[in-house]
Amino acid sequence: MSATEPADPTDDRPKPSFGATYSGVAAYLGMAVSETTDGTEPLAVLRGPFAAPDHITDDEGRTPTGVLAALVDSIGGLASGIACMPDWIVTTNLTLRRAPGALSGPTGTGDLVLDTEVLRRGRSAVVTRTAVSTTDGSPVATGWMTAAVLTPTGGPPAITRPVRPLPQSPIDDPSFASTPGEFFGLREGHGPGEVALDIIVRIRNPWGILHGGAMTVLADTAARSAVAGTPALEPTPGLVTSDLITHYLSPGRVGPVVASAEVLGRRGREHLVRVIVRDHGADDRLLVESVLTVRRTDRPRATVR
Amino acid sequence: VPEPSAATPPTSHAMRLLALEIERTIDGDVRGWMPVTDFTRVPSGGPGLAAVAMLVDALGGARALPAADPDWAITADLSIHLLPTGPIDELRADAHVRRRGRRTLVLDFDLFGDDEIPAGTATGSFTVVARPPHLADVTFDASGPRHAMIERTSDGSDELGRHYLEELGIEEREPGVIAIELRPEVSNNLGALHGAVHTAVMDAASASLGRHLLGPGAETTEVHLAFLELARPGPLRAEAVAVGPPPPQGDRLTAEVRLVDADGRLCSYATTAVVTT
Repeated sequence: MSATEPADPTDDRPKPSFGATYSGVAAYLGMAVSETTDGTEPLAVLRGPFAAPDHITDDEGRTPTGVLAALVDSIGGLASGIACMPDWIVTTNLTLRRAPGALSGPTGTGDLVLDTEVLRRGRSAVVTRTAVSTTDGSPVATGWMTAAVLTPTGGPPAITRPVRPLPQSPIDDPSFASTPGEFFGLREGHGPGEVALDIIVRIRNPWGILHGGAMTVLADTAARSAVAGTPALEPTPGLVTSDLITHYLSPGRVGPVVASAEVLGRRGREHLVRVIVRDHGADDRLLVESVLTVRRTDRPRATVR
Repeated sequence: VPEPSAATPPTSHAMRLLALEIERTIDGDVRGWMPVTDFTRVPSGGPGLAAVAMLVDALGGARALPAADPDWAITADLSIHLLPTGPIDELRADAHVRRRGRRTLVLDFDLFGDDEIPAGTATGSFTVVARPPHLADVTFDASGPRHAMIERTSDGSDELGRHYLEELGIEEREPGVIAIELRPEVSNNLGALHGAVHTAVMDAASASLGRHLLGPGAETTEVHLAFLELARPGPLRAEAVAVGPPPPQGDRLTAEVRLVDADGRLCSYATTAVVTT
C-alpha cells in the first residue's frame, strides 16, 4: 500500500483510490494482514499469512524472491503508514535476504507468514523489519525497508485499528490466477537480462503509479535471466535470488518500464547482479537501482516462473 | 560520551588508519583508494568488509556533504556486496549519485581491486538534515587530483600496527557477540559511533558467528545496514543471530545483527551474509 514515490506533496496527481476490498497487486498477493495486538499502541505489529498459491510459486512450492519482496513492501508499507498517521509514506528502499537452508529442498516452501515491526519512527523516515517464516516457524528470509514520510495528495487511506483483513471478493479476471510474469505483464526485452512491462491498471498502486512490488518482480526476473543467459520469460531452473536491495528513486508513471541486468561477478555459486529500471516513456527516467545475488541451487529441476 | 567536534579527526582515528586517498572531479564525483594490507585483509586475500565500509562511507560523505551544502548529510543506510578478488594491493571505489532529492541522496559505488578486478558494489542513502551549529564553519575540498583524504601525522601514529578490528578496540565477548567502547577514535563529529565503525562491528559480530557455525575461514561478504539512532553512550554491543541454521556442509550463513547502546537502545540493524573460504 506504500506509494513508492519520493515525497512531493505539491504536485497535481489524482487523489488515491482505496476500496473496501483488496484490488490490484494486493488482491493478487492475497495476504490478509492483521494486527497482533489491540491496536491501541501507536506502532502496529502486523502479521500477514501468505497462502503461496500454485500459480505464484515454483514447481517446488517456493515463492520467488521478487514476489516475497512485494509482500514485504506491502506489509512494511502498512506498518510504516500507520506509524505516521495522519501522514503517509513512500517506500525508499527495501532489502531482503533469504536463509541458506530455505533456498532449495522442502524448507521454505508452501504457506508463509510475514511478521513486521517498526524499528524506528523518525520525523522524516520509518524503518521496519519483516521476518518471513513457514507456518511451523522455520525462518525463510528477513529484511528491512525504509519509507519516507509525506503528506499525500488526497490524504492517507482510512485505516481502522486494530487492522483486520479486508473481505476477499472473487475476481473474474483470469490474470489474478496467473503466474507473476503474466500478472505483471512482463515482456522479453532485447536479449537476456532485459525485461519490460507496461503500467497497466492492475499493477498501479492507489496513487496511480507503478506498484513497488512490480519493480521487485521485474528486477528479480531480469537478474535471473542475465545469470541464466536466456530470454527473460524462459524458466530459470536451479536459480534462486538469495538477496536483494532495491532503491526506489522515482515513480513509474508512463511506461514502458524496462529493467536491464548486468552480472558484476560471482562467488562460487552466487552471482552478483545490478539491475537498473527506467521509464522509457518518461525520457528514460531512472526508477530503480537494485543489487541482487542469484544462487545456483542443488535442485536444478526447480522452475521459477 | 565524546564531545561533538568540528575538528579534523584525532590521531589514530578510525578514518586515519586506512591511508585513504581521494580524487574529486570538476563535476563533484569522487573516486577513492585504500591500500590492502595484512592488517585489513581477510582469509581469502581481499580487503575485509569493515575496511571497505570505511572507504565507502568516507567517499559517500565526501560526495554527499557538498551536495547537501549549506545543510548537512548523514548516512541513513549502507549496503555492501563483496566479490572474491584474491590477494590485491589496492582497492578503488568510484562513487556515483543516483538520486539527488531535497531530503535524500542515493549513491552507488563500483569497487575494483588493483584497478581492474571487480571487487563488488555498494549503495548508500544519505539524509539531508539541518547543519549542526558546531559544524557551521566546515568547508569542502574543491576538485583536485588524487591526494590523502586526511593529512597523515608525521610520527607514524596513524599507521596500522595490528589488525584494523583490533585497532578499533572491538572485543569478541562470545560467538556472535561484540563490544566496543565509545572513544574519540571511533566516534563521528556528533560524538556518536562512526558509521563505518558501526559496519565494522556488524562485520565482526557476523564473522564471529560464522567462525562458530561454519569454521575458521568464515568472513562477512554482504551487509545491509540501517542506521537508526546515534550510538551513544557506550559501551556498545552487537549480537548476530543466524536466520535459520546453515544447511549441513553449508558454506553460507545469513545473520541479522542488532547494535545497542549502554542503555539498551537499538542503534542500528543489519542483515549479513557470511561464507567460508
